[in-house]
Amino acid sequence: MEKKQFERPYIKKLQAGMPSKFGMKSKPEPITHIDDNSVADLIGEFGSPLFVISEKTIRETYKKAHHAFATRYPKVQFAWSYKTNYLDAVCRIFHQEGSWAEVVSGFEYDKALANGVKGSQIIFNGPDKNDEDLKKAVGNDSLIHIDHFDEMYSILALSEKLGKKPKVAIRVNMDTGVYPMWDRFGFNYENGDAWDAINRIMINEKLELVGLHAHIGTYMMSADSYKIAAGKLADLAHGVEKKYGIHIRYIDMGGGFASRNTLKGAYYPGTDTTPSFEEYAEAISSALLNSELDPRKLPTLILETGRALIDDAGWLLGTVIANKRLSSGNRATIVDVGVNLMFTSFFYEHEVYPAAPVSEHLEETTLYGPLCMNIDVLREAIAFPLLKKGDHFVIKRIGAYNMTQWMQFITLRPNVVLIDLEGKSHIIRKQETIENITQQEVLPAYLA
Amino acid sequence: MIRTAIHTARETGDIKLFIRGIPNSYAQVFFSDNRVFAIILVAVTFIDLYGGIMGLLSVITTNLTGFLLGFDRRTISKGLYGFNSLLVGLALGVYFAPGGLLIMIVVLAAILTLLVSVSMQGVIGKYALPFLSIPFLISVWIMTLATREYTALGVSERGIYTFNDLYMIGGSSLVQLYEWWNALSIAQSIRIYLISLGAILFQYNILSGILLAIGLFCYSRISFILSLFGFYTAFVFYELIGASISELSYSYIGFNYILTAIAVGGFFIIPSRRSYLWVLILIPMVALVTVSLTSIFNILGLPIYSLPFNIVVLLFLYALKFRIKPSEKLSEVYIQQNSPEKNLYSFHNHLIRFHHSDKEPVRLPFLGKWTVSQGHEGEYTHKDDYRHAWDFIITDLEGKQFSGKGDYPGDYFCFDKPVLAPADGTVEYITDNIEDNIIGEVNIKENWGNTVIIRHDDSLFTSLSHLKKESIPVNVGERVKAGDIIGRCGNSGRSPYPHLHFQVQETPYIGSPTLDYPVSYYVLTHKDRFSLCSFDRPGKDELVSNIETNDLLHDAFHFIPGRKFFFEVVDNGHSGRVQWEVQTDPFNNTFIRCLKTKSTAWFTNDGNLLYFTHYEGDKKALLYYFFLAAFKVQQGYYQDMVLKDRYPLNLLYRPPLLTLQDIIAPFWKFLSSEFELRYVTIDNEMSPTEITLESSACNVLMGGELKRLDFIISVNEKGIKQLDVNGARFNIKAKCTDC
Repeated sequence: MEKKQFERPYIKKLQAGMPSKFGMKSKPEPITHIDDNSVADLIGEFGSPLFVISEKTIRETYKKAHHAFATRYPKVQFAWSYKTNYLDAVCRIFHQEGSWAEVVSGFEYDKALANGVKGSQIIFNGPDKNDEDLKKAVGNDSLIHIDHFDEMYSILALSEKLGKKPKVAIRVNMDTGVYPMWDRFGFNYENGDAWDAINRIMINEKLELVGLHAHIGTYMMSADSYKIAAGKLADLAHGVEKKYGIHIRYIDMGGGFASRNTLKGAYYPGTDTTPSFEEYAEAISSALLNSELDPRKLPTLILETGRALIDDAGWLLGTVIANKRLSSGNRATIVDVGVNLMFTSFFYEHEVYPAAPVSEHLEETTLYGPLCMNIDVLREAIAFPLLKKGDHFVIKRIGAYNMTQWMQFITLRPNVVLIDLEGKSHIIRKQETIENITQQEVLPAYLA
Repeated sequence: MIRTAIHTARETGDIKLFIRGIPNSYAQVFFSDNRVFAIILVAVTFIDLYGGIMGLLSVITTNLTGFLLGFDRRTISKGLYGFNSLLVGLALGVYFAPGGLLIMIVVLAAILTLLVSVSMQGVIGKYALPFLSIPFLISVWIMTLATREYTALGVSERGIYTFNDLYMIGGSSLVQLYEWWNALSIAQSIRIYLISLGAILFQYNILSGILLAIGLFCYSRISFILSLFGFYTAFVFYELIGASISELSYSYIGFNYILTAIAVGGFFIIPSRRSYLWVLILIPMVALVTVSLTSIFNILGLPIYSLPFNIVVLLFLYALKFRIKPSEKLSEVYIQQNSPEKNLYSFHNHLIRFHHSDKEPVRLPFLGKWTVSQGHEGEYTHKDDYRHAWDFIITDLEGKQFSGKGDYPGDYFCFDKPVLAPADGTVEYITDNIEDNIIGEVNIKENWGNTVIIRHDDSLFTSLSHLKKESIPVNVGERVKAGDIIGRCGNSGRSPYPHLHFQVQETPYIGSPTLDYPVSYYVLTHKDRFSLCSFDRPGKDELVSNIETNDLLHDAFHFIPGRKFFFEVVDNGHSGRVQWEVQTDPFNNTFIRCLKTKSTAWFTNDGNLLYFTHYEGDKKALLYYFFLAAFKVQQGYYQDMVLKDRYPLNLLYRPPLLTLQDIIAPFWKFLSSEFELRYVTIDNEMSPTEITLESSACNVLMGGELKRLDFIISVNEKGIKQLDVNGARFNIKAKCTDC
């Protein structure tokens, strides 16, 4: 018989068998393995903390999302949102599945090209595209989504200089019934800015208007907003066809689908409230199919979903550094994962699980990161089992944004490991070394 | 008047048509328009100098009169009026002594023959029957009976004193040659055959027969074989019934058998086993008709000439028209190309390529890719009267048709998806108010559920059933176009789970029996490979979708009459320029014509596919290679999709291999020439500016590759951008320019 793990004693009010309004209290099931790799072994081999990405989950999620749309709308194309996670290995998995690339900077654009994406399959978004970036995009026949008039002027100037007709779409913002309304990107639908932009493109004739794009917000918990947005874009496309006789090739609904993480301040857990891909797909495709658009010449539907496709495929493995009692008597656990690696902990109540079986006793605990800073809090309050120093834990659903928004603050970033379809692990980003950081530094001669 | 006529004729190109009409009038005697054959025929008629002159005079008179009276110039140019006059002219020229009077008689006879020809065309032409040599018979009999009274017209003795004639034409050497010919030890049957052949042109000698046999072989191997086949059938028949072969040889009306065999075996009927069999049956019939009619005509003192041939062939052709269903095994020739070989090859090619051409196109009634859950002769409900129906559902990659537990109609991927009109038509019937079933239950009372029936034609309806309650946006009597939304997929009626029932029927009622009718075009997806199905029936579990036309390909291969193409051609290092123009004729046939070589490539385009159908002209012209390269192009871009087709053999092969094939073509084809086209690259899926297609033409002899041509066609927003041709010993690069 295996020796039982020691847990220190503590006193707690007895709540025998009394269900709360959420039902019976639940015991956190430990996550001992990720795709058949034991957490302890992974940490043993690659160190702690450790990012783990599951190829299987990526492919399954992608297929599910693609299927939800492809079974509802005849022409669907996904474009991988680079900013969500632009590790090359991750991007290439998405490209293998058939995704194009959606980039928002020159840096991402180059990364997409280096990943073998055809220029014509790169969608260039974002408010900051400098002339060099635009020149590249025009030259490669990429789809440029115009954010503001100043950008349109730059592209016009470039098209003359390069003697090419750039393929552009305009980004449209609109009232979809959500508050606050996202109106900082693109041209507004309601006040006529969008039509203004379209008219200028069409009259000018130097640009080819191929698409319409809307990104109505992020972490949208309501599928209905997409229905409104898709309807408005379809109206716009139909209007363009009627007015100018050109056929809009695609409608890009952007991203913004929520993953199943729980937002801070949310009453119900995200796993229960987040709309499924099916619901988003139903809302968007029904709006497009019910619109005035000619069913014989439907535009392609492009989706730039990032978060909902990758969040579930990422895990962060960590180790407990210490336990302590705060002055309030509350328990605090210090772990080796902080906000430097977990940018999303600013807005999610991340789910943290022990990596080995534990007793059912939980105590409300504050999880602190290792940084010497007050803001380094992973969870203000979590019903957490009694882990000891050196015990491992797993943070679930962290695939999106953390590996792009992480900080190199007072310490170095850890390994990122990919588990392939056969369960084998591969380092896809090596742990940083001090040389990585210092090599960028230049010491003036007089200080040397 | 004549001067103005000549002037206008020169302007309209009529002189060319007129000149062409002369040799064609000769060749047409053997249903041909072959130049070489025509020259041989002309030469043979001139073996009897005066006969030849009278024949030519007769042809010229007829064709000129035809032109001046304003008959159809193309008919004249094909020699269809002239050949009867030729025969009349030859007959008169051979029988009567030359002189001014004969010339006058011949001119009159020629005009008479023209009038009879035109009238015959009017009388039997409306039954789509040829008048054959009936005008000749009528005219020649009239002239024979009439000229008995004209004593001034001396009867020629030339036909009788052959040696004298030959001496007059060619001196003693020709006489010797003639003697040598006749002394040749040729079997008697062959001798009679040759003389019979010559007798068609009133030349009762072996030399004419041999020349004609050679000409006939040059023109058509099938006709040549048929002439022998017909003759020997008669020969054997005479032997069998014990009739004297001398009867056959005496009047030399053996040509009746020869002409009947050619007409029935290969010219008016597509040559085939059946047509040869019918030759075997009809020839004895001709023999009987010959015997019986001779006894009648003897009373009048008239020779029967080709009357038996005319009677039997016309009877047979007319009777064939009453068949309820035209047979592929014994098919009449619908587009006459004046050559049994050409007719045969293009008929077979047409059978492979356009067996569906009379069918109104019916598309799949949905957007995107759906799966056939029950096809024709299905295992559940598509039986008996309803065996030609389809059920469609949407499935995911694992083949599942619903998400979640599938307890509600909304869980099914196909539920509430748009259902489209399969073809243009009028809404005939709708039901819209039947509840969608709970999953697993069926509504047997309102079996068909919510249904739309659309009328496309008086006997062509499509019916779409089990639609969602209150989802039908059209009303009875409304016009719908193919692809309009006419409802949404539901679960009403006898439908345990949501699916779309689609059937074609002949009558407009709900629950009418199904009609076995194909879907015009659809794309079959199998493991990321696309294949095109045309006029086929989607089978169970197949993943199918409508063709989605690519604008760039569509525009590039949409040849509107008047459109011009200019090419800069580099042909094995030599550069030159080529100009084409898209044209159309009064029969609405569209074709591309090369202005330099006058080559012509005919095509049809049904909106989804471009087909080249026929080519005539220079086989070194760029247009010929384009014809081969773009023989069949589907206008949607599907990566790596392969289209296959077959060319008519006569357009790719040359003698001697083709000659060999010609001889046995009605029975067996050992040659084939295959077309293949692949969709290779597209520069931008969303808004493409350049697409490349690769195709090849491959001659195959019993599985082995004989000759191969590879083509690369690139297309941009201006249309065809470039055509590369790569053969074994040459390559051509043609770039399209603006002018």
